[in-house]
Amino acid sequence: MRAGMSLVAARVLIVGLTALAIQRVVFAQHPIFDVKVQFVLALVVAAGAAGGADRGAVAGFVLGLMYDASGNTPLGLMGLCYGLAGITAGYVHTITPDPQWWLASIFAAVGAVVGEAAIPFAEVITGESGWVTRELMVVLPVVGAAAFVLCPLLVPIGRWMMGVKRKKWKAMIE
Amino acid sequence: MFTLSRRRIIIAVVLTAMLLITLDKNGNGAIERGRSLFARVLQPFDTAVEAVALPVERAWNGITQVDDLQRENDALRDQLARAKGAELEAESAILAYRELLKLNLLTAKFQYKVVAAQVVGDSPSNFQNTVEINVGSNRGIQVGMPVTDGAGLVGRITRVFPESSVVLLITDPEYSINAQVLSTQEQIDEETAPSSTAPSGVPVENLTSTTTTSTTVPPSTSLPPILQPVSTSTSTPASSSVPPTTLVETTTTTELRVVRETGTLAGQGADRPLVLRFIDTTSSVTTVRVGSIVDTAGGNTSLAPQGIPIGRISAIVEQPGTSSYLIEVRPNASLDRLNFIAVVLYVPANSSQGG
Repeated sequence: MRAGMSLVAARVLIVGLTALAIQRVVFAQHPIFDVKVQFVLALVVAAGAAGGADRGAVAGFVLGLMYDASGNTPLGLMGLCYGLAGITAGYVHTITPDPQWWLASIFAAVGAVVGEAAIPFAEVITGESGWVTRELMVVLPVVGAAAFVLCPLLVPIGRWMMGVKRKKWKAMIE
Repeated sequence: MFTLSRRRIIIAVVLTAMLLITLDKNGNGAIERGRSLFARVLQPFDTAVEAVALPVERAWNGITQVDDLQRENDALRDQLARAKGAELEAESAILAYRELLKLNLLTAKFQYKVVAAQVVGDSPSNFQNTVEINVGSNRGIQVGMPVTDGAGLVGRITRVFPESSVVLLITDPEYSINAQVLSTQEQIDEETAPSSTAPSGVPVENLTSTTTTSTTVPPSTSLPPILQPVSTSTSTPASSSVPPTTLVETTTTTELRVVRETGTLAGQGADRPLVLRFIDTTSSVTTVRVGSIVDTAGGNTSLAPQGIPIGRISAIVEQPGTSSYLIEVRPNASLDRLNFIAVVLYVPANSSQGG
């Protein structure tokens, strides 16, 4: 059990660092409609869609903390918002335990929108200058659409990262 | 839907996040050390991703942007040629300025050392207007130091690592600084009705300039009162008839007074102008105009010395329902094309965090 936890922690660290580097080097430099696609957030919601709300919360919190540590936000702020995103995406498991790719993508997109929208509100609450502006109307659809597109690619990575085994279904033969 | 263990996990995540935010906002040393360590750990991953992404990006840019680059190159050559001409003019203006300084026994205000730096990263977030630069505490960089490019103020240092730093750009809503507007009295008089009332701003510099003008006065023309010279070396009665094509030499003495108005400048987000709020809102609007220069005001608590150019006033908008005005400032620095910048090694006399 403990060895399994350590393995998951190591995977989260390596995948998280790589995702963060991709975010900083690739997606931060190439905005779409002036919006930076959130690759780390897409990974979080993919992990949530693959593993459920609790795993999504943990993945979101840890990757969010890494995001905070590399940036300018107070430590824990993105952890909180990304945790919320992971929980939201993980709700797909209340509908079906093994969601189809498109259903997982829809919940991932919703989770990404919730997580991204939570950031300016959390900044306002924590005394930072939040950006609750009309730019959110552009940011949220782009971030959500990107999460929708990236989700099918990132779900296997999220599943591996969080140590989730894919369920195998067998037909009942009478 | 929510099992007990799931609830526990979610509550633990929320509480831990809140605790960490509180600790970080209070400036916990362990968190700062942790950030510094994390920056070191992340560096090889950044380099590795860059090594993979850069060739792909260059190849793509080579395919898609070659025509644009060619056009831009031609435009830049033209611009360079024009700039060379302007440079000569600027050099002579600088020489004149230095002479004036000597004459007035003034010292140059901006005498701080700078550290050159290169922008190596952009903010990964949509809600933070920051850039990362490649110098840090090893080069003497400290939190709060102002950052400029060749054109004007860029921002201030908000986080420092040994080999890198994070710069909060002036357009970020979290950024604010004491600023002053410089308007010449001449500029104000041009746009306001002639008034003998002195402006509210304290005129701190009075420079007298002598201008010699040559005017061809048509016959039987009297000059309107507003165009009457203050003093004329050649006394010409306004109502007298002057023969055609007579050249009248007049020497006018005009007073160039620089009026300063101080306020607080704040960002509003990327691609949006900065907003200036005056300390004295009632009278300041009469003394500033669109196009007036804005620079840092300095002061004991200010995080930048006096005299760093910021930009020009781009609009003065009346706030509906109030007597106040919104003054928008367009920054001089090209914040969307930052490459090489300079960190001014300035620590305020009173080094508490001030605007």
